[in-house]
Amino acid sequence: MSDGPFLSLLAIVCLAGLACVPDEKKLGESPSSVIQLTYWPAPNQQEVQLADSLVRMWNRMYPAVQVRVQPIPVSQSTEEVLLAAIAAETTPDICSNIWPGALHEYTKAGGLLPLNQFADFDSTATLRTPRELLNTFRSEDGQFHQMPWKTNPVMMFYNKKLFREAGVDRVPRTYSEYLAIGARVTRDIDGDGRIDVWMGERDIRPIWWQRLFDFYPFYIAASGGQTLFRQSEVVFDNDAAVQVMAFFRECYGRKLFPLTFFQGGDPFLLERKATHFGGPWNIATIQKLAPHLEFGIAPLPVPDNHKGQVYTAGDYKNIAIFSNTRHPREAWEFVKFLIKAEHDLLLLQIANQIPLRGDLLTNELFASYFRQNHAMVTFAEQAVYTRGMDSAPDLKEIFDVISQEYEAGAVYGRKSPHTAVQDAARRARMIIRWNQ
Amino acid sequence: MKRIVTIALSLKKSDSAGFWLVSPYLIFFLLFVAYPLVFSFILMFHRWDIVTPMEWVGLKNFERLFADPLFFKSIFNTFVFLLVHIPLQIIVALTLAVLLNSATKMRGLFRAIYFLPVIVSGVVVTILWQQLYAFDYGVLNTFLTSIGLPRIPWLVDPDVAMTSIAVMATWKNVGIYIVLFLVGLQTIPRELYESASIDGADTRKQFFYITLPMLNPTMVMIVVLSTIGGFSLFIEPFVMTGGGPMQSTLSATLYIYNQAFYFNHMGYAATLGFVFALIILAVVLLQRKLVETESVS
Repeated sequence: MSDGPFLSLLAIVCLAGLACVPDEKKLGESPSSVIQLTYWPAPNQQEVQLADSLVRMWNRMYPAVQVRVQPIPVSQSTEEVLLAAIAAETTPDICSNIWPGALHEYTKAGGLLPLNQFADFDSTATLRTPRELLNTFRSEDGQFHQMPWKTNPVMMFYNKKLFREAGVDRVPRTYSEYLAIGARVTRDIDGDGRIDVWMGERDIRPIWWQRLFDFYPFYIAASGGQTLFRQSEVVFDNDAAVQVMAFFRECYGRKLFPLTFFQGGDPFLLERKATHFGGPWNIATIQKLAPHLEFGIAPLPVPDNHKGQVYTAGDYKNIAIFSNTRHPREAWEFVKFLIKAEHDLLLLQIANQIPLRGDLLTNELFASYFRQNHAMVTFAEQAVYTRGMDSAPDLKEIFDVISQEYEAGAVYGRKSPHTAVQDAARRARMIIRWNQ
Repeated sequence: MKRIVTIALSLKKSDSAGFWLVSPYLIFFLLFVAYPLVFSFILMFHRWDIVTPMEWVGLKNFERLFADPLFFKSIFNTFVFLLVHIPLQIIVALTLAVLLNSATKMRGLFRAIYFLPVIVSGVVVTILWQQLYAFDYGVLNTFLTSIGLPRIPWLVDPDVAMTSIAVMATWKNVGIYIVLFLVGLQTIPRELYESASIDGADTRKQFFYITLPMLNPTMVMIVVLSTIGGFSLFIEPFVMTGGGPMQSTLSATLYIYNQAFYFNHMGYAATLGFVFALIILAVVLLQRKLVETESVS
């Protein structure tokens, strides 16, 4: 048997394979036919600005692969848009607003490309993100469908001026302290019978993702870093969850939080509430829209008997390549470009969000930024003590259930905190069982 | 033999023409009634999120339904809405219809004004009422506080919210029922009133002993139409409250919509829809029985 045809075929395959590998030099070569990639960043102003800057740089450097920025179409949630896009096969090539909690749905739909198929995935990812943290982003099938990009630890912003005016000279660290300070801060200033300054405010509508900024981070803080599931089992019907529910019940019961939602602007920016639970993205908003607002940042309040480090939830957002891309290798090169150290610096400078890097507080590149933006050091330090989202089916509905029970147990007090937590866990188990 | 062939040919031609004549309806029926119905039936035994392929789950959707407190809550809420909305609708529509029927000046103008909300988009009306009902700065509460009364938590109190929505729905739909009552009122022979008047019956007695009994068929029709409309309550809670507070305004249709298009549980939503359809069927059969009893009596 002659080896001739086999060797010829092998040579053709190898040549074709080599032709498909676009190293940086090839990407920079003058184009014979230009490859177009579409990149969806989050639709907020800072991230669109960051995306525009990065893409302009990329397009100048690599004329053969041109990237088009298109902010994620505005909807009630990014996850809805992405799922609809996967179903309609209208996904972009790359998206940098992938919430790990929705990854199960995306991968189940076959919408994402496993990134570990690229030979340099491991070296690229571990160079930036500690392996232990990286492993938490592994999909259930053992693959990596996301490149960890940034996290936004939820912390407490407080208005220094409003605290000062109420004679408060310390930041609340426990539930008792928060409630005591709240009683002093919350007041009717002009005597018209309406409260003008509230201690805090949360959107009372049972919208599932609102719980990512109150119940969930407070639960992680109170439980010392536990999430909702352990080995796919619902485990949040515990004392920590009850304490959190009871704390928010007190906030509403003592009228430190309003039983309505504000219309006509952000009450923290308008200095109508003294504390706000949010992430580092709020800093840019405050500096832009309320530059005179004096604010501080502190860990979330915890139960009075809490010991040890205060954890919180991190709103992780990662980068993914969609499986219907026609140029996976070029898309992967673009992903690598997005997570370069100098571009992480831009992420900090433009969007005030924390890149998921192990060397954030030790790398000289970022030192001057943190010297100038001391508030961000607090977030960078907290980032280590941050927990993300479990990989579980129907998380959206489970958070919806938690929202409903939060409404009943905390906002309206129609159920005891204990019953609300038990009911939420029972219904969450029903949803998980239905999914099995 | 020739005659038989001629008849057969003409029948065939006639069949073909008939078929073409009914084809628009047939196509409509197949596309928008038969296909969704059959597909929904298949979906009831599957889990399907639109994106991934359908997965056979047997009776799991039914198991979940019977353990789902929210579905029963949504059915309960729908009945609460009907209980408030239907009597309110009848009282307001009948009162206005009687007034309009006796009005001599600008009757047409008033009829047009009352009918206006019916033709305005439900979403527009709902957003408008949302502003009226706002707790802190809404028009209604601003008025109440200006005359020294406390604010009413129109949409933020679980005990009040569904009633507020029923009031709004009444305002929106009352125009059509006024027209129906007006038609009914104008079919009552004037001689009955003249005769009653000669016999000494005052206006109140005339209303209760002539107008109301003579309007009975209209009343039955309005109850049936309001019930059907009430069961499809969706826009108002969807836009105004999202089903809250505490799911007190979560209607069955809104819950089915949420399961289908918010959580992408198409199979479970189809199951909910099927059971909800059975409940509506039971109510309609009950009403039919009452109507038949009425006719016999």
